[in-house]
Amino acid sequence: MENKKVTEEKLSGIKLLRDLCLTFGPTGCEEAVADEICRQLEGTTDAEITRVRCGNVYAVLHGETKNGETAKKVMLSAHTDEVGFIINEIDSDGYLKFSCEGGIDPRVLCGRHVTFRGKDGDVAGVIASKAIHHQTADERKTATKVKDMYVDIGAKNKEDAEKYVAVGVWGTFDSDFVVFGENDRYMKGKAIDDRLGCAVIIETLRRLKAEGKRLPFDLYCAFTVREEIGRSGAQIAAQTFEPDYAIVLESTAIADLPDVPANSRVAKVGDGGVISLADRSTVYDREFVDGTMKIAAQKNIPAQIKRYVSGGNDAGHIHKAARGTKTLAVSAPTRYLHSASCVAAAADFDSIRELIYAVLNGYSF
Amino acid sequence: MSEIDLKQLIFDLAGLMSVSGSTAHDSKKLIDLIGGYFDEVHTGAVGNHLFIRRCGKENAPKILVDTHYDEIGMCVTQVKDDGFLTVTNIGGLDTRILQASEVTVYGRDADGNEHNIYGVVGSTPPHLQKPGDANKLKPIDELLIDTGYTKAELEKYVRVGTPVGFRPKYLELKNGLIAGKGFDDKSCGACAVAAIASTPHEELWGDVYLLFSSFEEDGAFMVGASAGAFAVDPVCALVADVNLAHTPDTKKNETVEVNGGVSVTWSPLTDKRLNRILMDEAKEKGIKTQLSVCPGGTGTNATVVGLVGRGIPTVDVGLPLKSMHTCTEVISMEDAAALRDIIALFITSRKIAEDLK
Repeated sequence: MENKKVTEEKLSGIKLLRDLCLTFGPTGCEEAVADEICRQLEGTTDAEITRVRCGNVYAVLHGETKNGETAKKVMLSAHTDEVGFIINEIDSDGYLKFSCEGGIDPRVLCGRHVTFRGKDGDVAGVIASKAIHHQTADERKTATKVKDMYVDIGAKNKEDAEKYVAVGVWGTFDSDFVVFGENDRYMKGKAIDDRLGCAVIIETLRRLKAEGKRLPFDLYCAFTVREEIGRSGAQIAAQTFEPDYAIVLESTAIADLPDVPANSRVAKVGDGGVISLADRSTVYDREFVDGTMKIAAQKNIPAQIKRYVSGGNDAGHIHKAARGTKTLAVSAPTRYLHSASCVAAAADFDSIRELIYAVLNGYSF
Repeated sequence: MSEIDLKQLIFDLAGLMSVSGSTAHDSKKLIDLIGGYFDEVHTGAVGNHLFIRRCGKENAPKILVDTHYDEIGMCVTQVKDDGFLTVTNIGGLDTRILQASEVTVYGRDADGNEHNIYGVVGSTPPHLQKPGDANKLKPIDELLIDTGYTKAELEKYVRVGTPVGFRPKYLELKNGLIAGKGFDDKSCGACAVAAIASTPHEELWGDVYLLFSSFEEDGAFMVGASAGAFAVDPVCALVADVNLAHTPDTKKNETVEVNGGVSVTWSPLTDKRLNRILMDEAKEKGIKTQLSVCPGGTGTNATVVGLVGRGIPTVDVGLPLKSMHTCTEVISMEDAAALRDIIALFITSRKIAEDLK
């Protein structure tokens, strides 16, 4: 009936990413993601792990400097939150009204499965609005507004619903992780933005340990909260460490669809990490960009320059933080970003991991 | 009591691929799943499946139970570059739920072997949206299904007309509510199977013909039901279909209530005497019913079944369902059990048998 190829064996290479994507972490409720990251890092890195009050997780790996020089500071950051929902009303019939956390196109909401983290456990629901039979001709052509949608959890009435959830309870899409496409080249899941970035950092730390590598600078890895609403935990991380360089690991929305002109496609799935020159929050350090692309070319690692000034991410805060930071963004090209069905390529996940490792080992910071 | 796990049977039946026009696609699976509960299984010229359970008496009257087996869906209109597909709707699909939904493309290789392909219905990133687009819903023919195939490989399995359905994925909500695709009308089909299969042959007042009719969702001709009813030529018919349930944005006088029990359609097209007997007996047995008032057509196969042949006294019973024609249709297991019980009542009621003599 379905894609039967999703076996444990085939998933093994991306199991970490799957586990992170399936973890619950809407903006403002990222604790479970922080827990999962700490669990994944435990015993697999020599970095010093700390969790701070705002919700960030830090993994710090001191480098080896020559002749007592002060070590340069390089930060890798990825955000732990995902777009999600928060209940703002329970109506008399027991339906949940909600607001979105982060920029979600209302058109991807109706018909989706969602999970709310209630006080006694997770509560499953579906986002609904009236049946097509009751829609007027105009309504059938118009996107339903979020304020007109509701979540059906099966509650009999308000009192019944309040046994499970309350105003202020957070929710996310409920979407499994599916490997699909020719030769299993694509992955579908919620929260690929930005658990893929988190997975890249975890894999980088693991590889440094596995290869017994000591970097000639201090590496600050920051798993940060609240990117999706722009009130960034990454700013706090940058102000805490005041890094000389920062690399933001992200996901970026692309439009590599038929009939879209090449210059509007942003980037292409499968062509490697997307390096931004500029987006709506940052103009990036050109030397850092060029140096990175040079390393990618030398090492034969797929990478691509972002071909559209769109989106924005934690770099916007990091490059301005404290005395300013030379910042680079490396993003996974991701279709249908901020939906229950983000699609990214397994090959890009590999390329980005390779590129980050090569940059840490090859760029002259 | 039924030994059949009704919820599991609903999931199993609803999960089959039966997009209108392709009701033969999973015919073998359907017959494997429920054929064993019946004495005879037939397939008809227009995509119908007919399951017969005999009462054991000679020249017994024939009772028709109709549920439609077809479901809304899509079919491919173009195979595009990079493994994208365009589609059109089959039946009155609610297009609002399509973006970011997951689908199964029911492809076949050159030898006709099944080759199902997973797909995601794409959405448009904000930078490509023009001012004023924010409130517009894209029509279905502008949406793209992403399969992750190359065009050359995809064309080995998919062509214009290849059916596409929602990915079967089911969710259990609170209070016995369940959500998923294909409950319209295969949940009623499951209730009918459970009712008929759990009734001993000797308790039936006639031979029961369970029609899994095709082509209800085309909305115009309902040829499956009319051809099926004509072939059976029964003394009476019970049509079971899902019924639009109340949600906060609909009117109570245009909907029925989830957990309100089986809806009994009160319409010029349904038989008043059978309706009254059925409701009275349901009340005696503690089966919850609610009236569904339909001044014109019933919106179901009952609209055509009563007119077949020399006229067939018909009742129309409904299972309240929210979000009809989506991938997350919602029904209540309490209502489903009531529907099962009222169908069992219909096929065993001596009062109904008497009334039709």
